[in-house]
Amino acid sequence: MIRNKHVLYAFRLIIGGLFIYAGVIKIADPLGFARDIQNYRILPPAACLFIALTLPWFEALSGAFLIVGIFKRTSAWLLSFLLAGFIVLVIITMARGLDVDCGCFGSFSRKADWRLILEDALMLYMSLQIAGQRRPLQ
Amino acid sequence: MILTKRFFAEAGLIAGLSVVLGLALHVPVIRQFLAGEFAQEFIAGKTGPGIILITLAEAEDLFAGGKGAFVDARSRTDFSAGHIPAAKNLPFEEAQGEALKEFTAAIPPGKTFVIYCSGKDCPAGLTLAVLLRDLGLEEVRVLMGGWDEWIAAGLPAERGNDQE
Repeated sequence: MIRNKHVLYAFRLIIGGLFIYAGVIKIADPLGFARDIQNYRILPPAACLFIALTLPWFEALSGAFLIVGIFKRTSAWLLSFLLAGFIVLVIITMARGLDVDCGCFGSFSRKADWRLILEDALMLYMSLQIAGQRRPLQ
Repeated sequence: MILTKRFFAEAGLIAGLSVVLGLALHVPVIRQFLAGEFAQEFIAGKTGPGIILITLAEAEDLFAGGKGAFVDARSRTDFSAGHIPAAKNLPFEEAQGEALKEFTAAIPPGKTFVIYCSGKDCPAGLTLAVLLRDLGLEEVRVLMGGWDEWIAAGLPAERGNDQE
């Protein structure tokens, strides 16, 4: 467990920043994101639309709270769950042999592949470091 | 920390806020969706060149002239219960990788692909069209009203899963 507060603060900026970015881009184009979710061929259209409208806000708000320091550990846990979910989703998608854009960052998205899993895992590590702090830092 | 009351309260607040903001800011989009206006529009951005939405009349012409290679994107069960005569069944879920390539290779050249699914609100037909287009097929057509419109118009149909 990392206890260096500068490192942890850097983690918060990185994770929070990435999620704010990912959220804002998708808030701007909900239908594009709905299409990306639909491409994973897991959910019906209504569920795709619901997620496309709400998940970006969830990402952006959690990211913002993480940086600002309100609900810091809860936000870190929530983003950890999301990241873990993304990893599972990409693994399932690869196992099914689907070739899809990940939908992570709007039109800047890349393919859902192994590199994406590694990146998500790295982010998951960082957010778990923040989430797992039991005692306040000195 | 996790699984405590405080965690659930804070997490619920963030989730609730996201749902409220997400839904409140997109009321027109939700209205349009509920009105069934763009059930297929989600993937419209990826249709682009090469995919043409056609009406029942156009599909009928292609059928009568023997120029259409009809592709049924519904499930095998639905297909057996009734389909456009001589249509090939390519269930949307199975349309991937090698199976998709083999399927397209088996269609005689010179025919125009006409894809359909159950009705106008099913995305399977359009999504399949995108997959076929991306394989390099030109002029993939999608029958907008789907099977429902075809059968409602009293056009010919056949039963069974014999695809030969």
